[in-house]
Amino acid sequence: MNDRPDARDLLEIARHTFTAEVLPAVPQALRYTALMIANAIAIAQREIAAGDAPLRGEYRRLAGLLSGNVAAPDGDALREAVEDYNRRLANEIRAGRFDGEERAEMLEHLRCTTEEKLAVSNPKALVDPVAKQQDARAEKRS
Amino acid sequence: MTLSETSTQQRLAKFVAHAAGGHDAVIVALERMSGGAVQENWALDVKLDGEHRRWVLRTDAKATVRESLTRAQEFAVLKIAHAAKVLAPEPLFLCDDLAVTGRLFFIMERLPGVAAGHKVTRDSKLVPDGGRLARELAANLARLHQITPAHAGLEFLPTMLARDCIAHYRSYLDTLSHPYPALEWGLRWCEINAPQHEDTTFIHRDYRTGNYLVHDGRLAGVLDWEFPAFGNPLEDIGWLCARCWRFARPDLAAGGIAGVEDFIAEYERVSGRRVAPGDLKYWQVMAHLRWAIIALQQLERHLSGTERSLELALTGHIVGQIELEILNLTGAP
Repeated sequence: MNDRPDARDLLEIARHTFTAEVLPAVPQALRYTALMIANAIAIAQREIAAGDAPLRGEYRRLAGLLSGNVAAPDGDALREAVEDYNRRLANEIRAGRFDGEERAEMLEHLRCTTEEKLAVSNPKALVDPVAKQQDARAEKRS
Repeated sequence: MTLSETSTQQRLAKFVAHAAGGHDAVIVALERMSGGAVQENWALDVKLDGEHRRWVLRTDAKATVRESLTRAQEFAVLKIAHAAKVLAPEPLFLCDDLAVTGRLFFIMERLPGVAAGHKVTRDSKLVPDGGRLARELAANLARLHQITPAHAGLEFLPTMLARDCIAHYRSYLDTLSHPYPALEWGLRWCEINAPQHEDTTFIHRDYRTGNYLVHDGRLAGVLDWEFPAFGNPLEDIGWLCARCWRFARPDLAAGGIAGVEDFIAEYERVSGRRVAPGDLKYWQVMAHLRWAIIALQQLERHLSGTERSLELALTGHIVGQIELEILNLTGAP
């Protein structure tokens, strides 16, 4: 077993230290780069925190859509199985197999997968920015 | 041989004097401008026969991107756009003699103004009347779209109508090892809903907030003439009105500066072409597909090791946002 703290804790404290102590002292010309570094660490943190639950959910939905085996494998095999299913899904969408009544289930799957990706990549994008802006303006007025 | 070397600048001064038909040119300042991963822009100040000229020198960066024009082609495009009364920097001199700077370059007029998207969409002092700016952009785009495939001197431009775009983006996705089902859905939707009839005109293909200069609240000129083609003029409208180019104001569909009505009404008036709401949505979907493909190309430069970069790496993480917008537009639950 590795010495503690683990990757999750190290990334957390590294990002905290960087944003609290380094970022304010960074010259303007490097500010964008510094913000990108903080963002990259935050994405890695969220990826670790999410674990493989989203990938398992994605596997389950894909197996349902493509009438595959619902028993999900573990570890690297899970990742490969999801990749294989996604390749099939992509091909079948292109071939028009989801043009008809299966479209709704396919779209629901894509929305779910996209939202789970965004929960890691950019959770702010999950809040509709137009609605948020309108809320902010309404608040200002009241 | 770099532009910052004295000997290069001496050769450049000689070229400028000759090209401008002057006797004497002295380079007063030559500084790299920000932006442009594909091309380098240098702010060039020259005393030409005693008169101060403010120009931009535009040259290839080392990293070249597929689909981008050569400097000579871009120069030709700018000449034609300028002659069609499109607001754009006036192209002045093209140099294809590699002995001058080691690279092909051209010199154009340096327009005043601010281009940065987050400033243009946020600063009401810079843009006091967004509706007026949107109408100026619309009229300018309508003039641009009057250039047709019959125009002499643009034979090198590809033709990219809706189905060409779909085929082109699919062929790029086919080169990747990773599948993108949401993008495939967007492409399929575009295929199912492809227009029966399309006009074909000159299109800019990067006509958006961030790529035009605003000076005193008015449109000073459109920049970035690297990716034009002949295609459906509505593509440029979908690109300008795509959510990914609204910066601080996602609620203002016309480039984050005005409502879409301001823009469309003026475009229809000047161009005589009708833009139906369905057309706008179709080309907004296509815009997001194209932006996703460009983001994936940038990501690939990082992943392949061609150009390891944090910025390119993070570009991979915006694909989800683009996919979400495609799903929203194409009626996902």
